[in-house]
Amino acid sequence: MAASAIKIVPEVMSSRVESQTAPQAAASVLGLSKRFGKTAVLENISFNVAEGEALVLLGASGSGKTTILRIIAGLEQPYTGKVILHGKDVTELPARERGVGVIFQSYALFPKMTVEKNIGYGLRIRGRSRKEIKKTVQELLSLVQLEPHRKKYPSQLSGGQQQRVAIARTLAYKPEVLLFDEPFGALDAQTRVHLRREIRSLLKKVNVPAIFITHDQEEALELGDRIAVINTGHIEQIGTPSEIYNRPATEYVATFLGSANILEGTVRKDSIDIGGRLVCANVDRERFADGQAVKLAFRPEDVLLSDSDTVAKGAVCLAQGVVEDVSFAGASERLAIRLDFNPISNDPDSDFYLTTQPPESPSPKPIIATRGQREARALSLKPRDRVWISLANFTVLPVSDRGPV
Amino acid sequence: MRHVRGFDIVRPLSIGMLVFMMLPLVLLPLLSIFIFGTSKGLSSFWAALTAPEAIFALKLSLVTSFWATLFNVIFGLFASYVLARHNFFGRNALIVTISLPTAIPTAVAGFALLLLWGPYGTLGRFLAPHGYNIMFTAWAIILANIFVTFPLAFGVIKPVFDTMNRSLEEASATIGATRWQTFWHVTLPSLRGAIVSGALLTFARAVGEFGSTILVSGNLAGRTQTAPLYIFAKFNEGQIESANAIAIVLALFSFLIFSVLFFARDWLDVD
Repeated sequence: MAASAIKIVPEVMSSRVESQTAPQAAASVLGLSKRFGKTAVLENISFNVAEGEALVLLGASGSGKTTILRIIAGLEQPYTGKVILHGKDVTELPARERGVGVIFQSYALFPKMTVEKNIGYGLRIRGRSRKEIKKTVQELLSLVQLEPHRKKYPSQLSGGQQQRVAIARTLAYKPEVLLFDEPFGALDAQTRVHLRREIRSLLKKVNVPAIFITHDQEEALELGDRIAVINTGHIEQIGTPSEIYNRPATEYVATFLGSANILEGTVRKDSIDIGGRLVCANVDRERFADGQAVKLAFRPEDVLLSDSDTVAKGAVCLAQGVVEDVSFAGASERLAIRLDFNPISNDPDSDFYLTTQPPESPSPKPIIATRGQREARALSLKPRDRVWISLANFTVLPVSDRGPV
Repeated sequence: MRHVRGFDIVRPLSIGMLVFMMLPLVLLPLLSIFIFGTSKGLSSFWAALTAPEAIFALKLSLVTSFWATLFNVIFGLFASYVLARHNFFGRNALIVTISLPTAIPTAVAGFALLLLWGPYGTLGRFLAPHGYNIMFTAWAIILANIFVTFPLAFGVIKPVFDTMNRSLEEASATIGATRWQTFWHVTLPSLRGAIVSGALLTFARAVGEFGSTILVSGNLAGRTQTAPLYIFAKFNEGQIESANAIAIVLALFSFLIFSVLFFARDWLDVD
């Protein structure tokens, strides 16, 4: 099982390393690993962040993303590997000598200091002159738009304001890299979206490399110039949001970011054999051998429905099927469609996990399609209608997935 | 439901009952100190208060309590820091040991100190030949005060330490502060309220200490006689006014400390 995973992951990684080992890397980690007792929590983590770039470490809780952040900050020591900030190996340096800015989830503002004092703290402990501190604090207050609140204490500020103080406090000493630990976890949904945009534009202004950690895929897609998907201590894939979303490298990535329908099949020349039906897939023959078991992953919004066998330009015909259920989901419509060749779920917990195991297996699951209101009006569908199904986009994945480490 | 709009008799009754119960137990004894103390006029009260031995006793109480408080607050801070930051074998045993002095009768505490530091005590007999004698001096009073108030400051400071957000200290470290800077600028200010109330509690308790002090001090008027010992001595001599004058001062003093504790806690903990 694990063999094909090892085959695919380094491929993705090596392409990154080639394009990224250039000197522009402002912060990088190389081959980090970490153990707590006998449990490995991180394995061979490597990535670079360029000057002014925002990298999001995306993973479920317990995936090890917080540990990566703490290792970069110097709050924890790696078992193996290096942390390099602007060309300097800081692995052995204590947190206070690294000059990184950490924005903690709780913001960790000093409760007995005013906004001004909090922001000036880094300069004060560095023994800078009062004049310089005053000037820098003034600049930062106006940058984060908190001038009217300068004399207030953290407990008198809203969550978003506290977060801006926390950011300004780190910017005061010109950090090598900004590390955001679940920055929006403590905020309500509306504020979250608003602050995300605010931080994004703030980061563009200050041109400091930033690493975010989050478990929220929507946040990752919006904040990150690049995203690294972390699963049980290793990087599944690293790439731009559109690469990660449209060309997921593993099944984990496909299902963690957004939802995906997954069908099991085998490679037959350029096509994929799904339950005896050949889907023309332009299989990358360098990655997949003839007869290899693969998975076909596609997003619900990439499923095109038609009442005839015409296939839209650029799409690939998948199968015919019968509509089982139609539900209204605000801006879109969600349809459950059972394919004619009767794919069967082998994972009863997942709505989207489909296989083509023998038909006598229990609990067959339909595929899920979503479409906009306009398309729904153009072709109205109701349960028991027959449809032709084609795919606008899909990914072929190796059958591999490494289970939990 | 019949109380919703009408007059609820339970309310004044229960409050009145509470005050009535407290009268003979707490309020009247305190009141009688003031009534008797001033019954012969303020001038005799003042004379009793300003008697050299009385002033000495008050001063001695304040000075010995001050040093005991200073020591116990610093110790309480240190012990809380160590116990909150490190987990080690015997940690709980140490916490219990620190808290133990509250459970030990003060007379036993004084006796124990005598057995250690007295001229024939475990340690004292090695010091005595060199001319060092700790017992029956002001040092003995300080030691006794430290012993009986040992866990008070610790008991107030430690819970605050335990619940303190660790990320504050981590934030300070990543910003570039040394451990000492972090402690001084971040940790200590958050403990301000706990330190003040711990100190006041310790001080109040030390000023009033009697049981252990009477054993270790020798109760020498004008030399090792603290205010509570003075009250006891004057009472035994039948000089009720003298005893009463000091009693008033001590009562007012504890009243003051507890008012400060009660009202300043919120003020000190303002974030």
